[in-house]
Amino acid sequence: MKTEIRPNLATTRDSAATIDAAAAAWAARADRGPLSADDQNALETWAAADPRRAGAYARALAVSAHADRAQALGEDFAPALHPVAVAAGRRRLLASGGALAAATVVGVAGYEALSFKDRVITRKGDIHRAPLDDGSAVTLNTDTVIKASFNRQIRRVDLVRGEALFDVAKDAARPFVVVAGKVRVRAVGTSFTVRAHDDGEVDVLVREGVVEVWRGQGGAPLRLVAQTATKVDAAGPLRVIRVAASAVDSATAWRQGQIDLDGLTLGQAAAEFARYSDRRIVVDDPVVARLKMTGLFSASDPDGFARAAALSLGLVATSQADGVRLERAANS
Amino acid sequence: MTLATHERALWLARHVLPHEPALRAWLYRRPLAGLEIDDIVQETYAILAGLERVDHVHTPRTYMFEVAKSVILQALRRGRIVAFEALAEAEGLEPPSADPSPETIAADRQELGRLAALIAGLPAKCREAFTLRKVHGLSQREVARRMGVSENTVEKHVGKGIGVLMDAMGRGGNGRFKASRDREDRDQTKLGNDPRQRRHH
Repeated sequence: MKTEIRPNLATTRDSAATIDAAAAAWAARADRGPLSADDQNALETWAAADPRRAGAYARALAVSAHADRAQALGEDFAPALHPVAVAAGRRRLLASGGALAAATVVGVAGYEALSFKDRVITRKGDIHRAPLDDGSAVTLNTDTVIKASFNRQIRRVDLVRGEALFDVAKDAARPFVVVAGKVRVRAVGTSFTVRAHDDGEVDVLVREGVVEVWRGQGGAPLRLVAQTATKVDAAGPLRVIRVAASAVDSATAWRQGQIDLDGLTLGQAAAEFARYSDRRIVVDDPVVARLKMTGLFSASDPDGFARAAALSLGLVATSQADGVRLERAANS
Repeated sequence: MTLATHERALWLARHVLPHEPALRAWLYRRPLAGLEIDDIVQETYAILAGLERVDHVHTPRTYMFEVAKSVILQALRRGRIVAFEALAEAEGLEPPSADPSPETIAADRQELGRLAALIAGLPAKCREAFTLRKVHGLSQREVARRMGVSENTVEKHVGKGIGVLMDAMGRGGNGRFKASRDREDRDQTKLGNDPRQRRHH
């Protein structure tokens, strides 16, 4: 027997907080399973009395849906041990009592992304900018793990997996070294990205300043200046690749949650989107896979990209449970 | 009023909720002639929930700001608050057109860490129920069985959790922080620049 959520038909105007509380209760009821006919009626009656109620209910459902993202934390998530964010009181309290204003700051301190000791991790689809002790900052792309270990001689960051942009604070006495597998990248004060591919290849791209790249086992370092890049694979000489300013922007579009597909084939684009989302773009037809698509797309929206590609290339995009399929239209 | 469907709730969660702190910060810096920001936000969601379709909304952030502005104008015109200057001021409101900076978006994307921290802050029983439901993905019925409590109790815990998140999310990490800082600045040093003060001169 479900408890009754009482339809509030008070004639006085409810406060926003009262409405939010009722809306949260309704969202929790909806979270339990489809509403019964009685519940549905009661909800509609409640919502009909004040337009703000339907809005609060929509917002409560959205917050509930957003909370489902917490599944990405995994079964190992131990909330009792996790740093706590204190939900601060409602702002109207502050508006009426200025003395409380200072207290709100507490609400945003005390939590940071998912850091474990000296490691910083982003899950698939997330981007995180992490400040380092020396004033440098690392922006982690999707599905990335870094580990920082600083001492008096060296600032060492291990790129365990994934891709990161390093904005390095100047400190001539302590070089900043990124270790990605067998590859080493050294900087003094600069901005550059390092991407560790699954097959061991490492890409380095310099936005500003100068960095040196070498393989861990020695060999002469390669010097890279702004707007140059290199790809380090298992063997072979290191080469400087010139990169236009616009291409540097494309290559760091991920910082804005975007993917820049300048001249990539659909096959390559599907692989790129797979870095950010578990919703796959399926392109079975090799002819379709070779088609090219250009543009800036939201990394978190493979379906949106597939629809855009379908429109501009005359394909058909079909949504499926775990992704979206791109294929030629039946009559073409 | 049209009630939000599950699909619309997902759309709101994905495209609107992340921009709510920015909307609130924007509203907070504007003279609203006594209108409550929470009320405007609720009515904005009501309109977005009631739209027949959303596939024409290419920039939900801008759209949300425009809807909020229309809510303000409508409230003023309905005469809930009679103030001609307020109406004139609101007519001139320009929603920010610029896209959020990379850092802002990165901050939005830290929501997972923020979610974790907010869940961690719930009262123990509520936290346990909410974690089993939202992190482990069990149904409320399974959560009840696991905890040895009634389903109604689990529903209350989940409702409490949603309520806490609703309260925290709108104010968002940066948005609220900035808003409260702005307020302090204004209260202490910029009284003369506050249009609401100026009106009485």
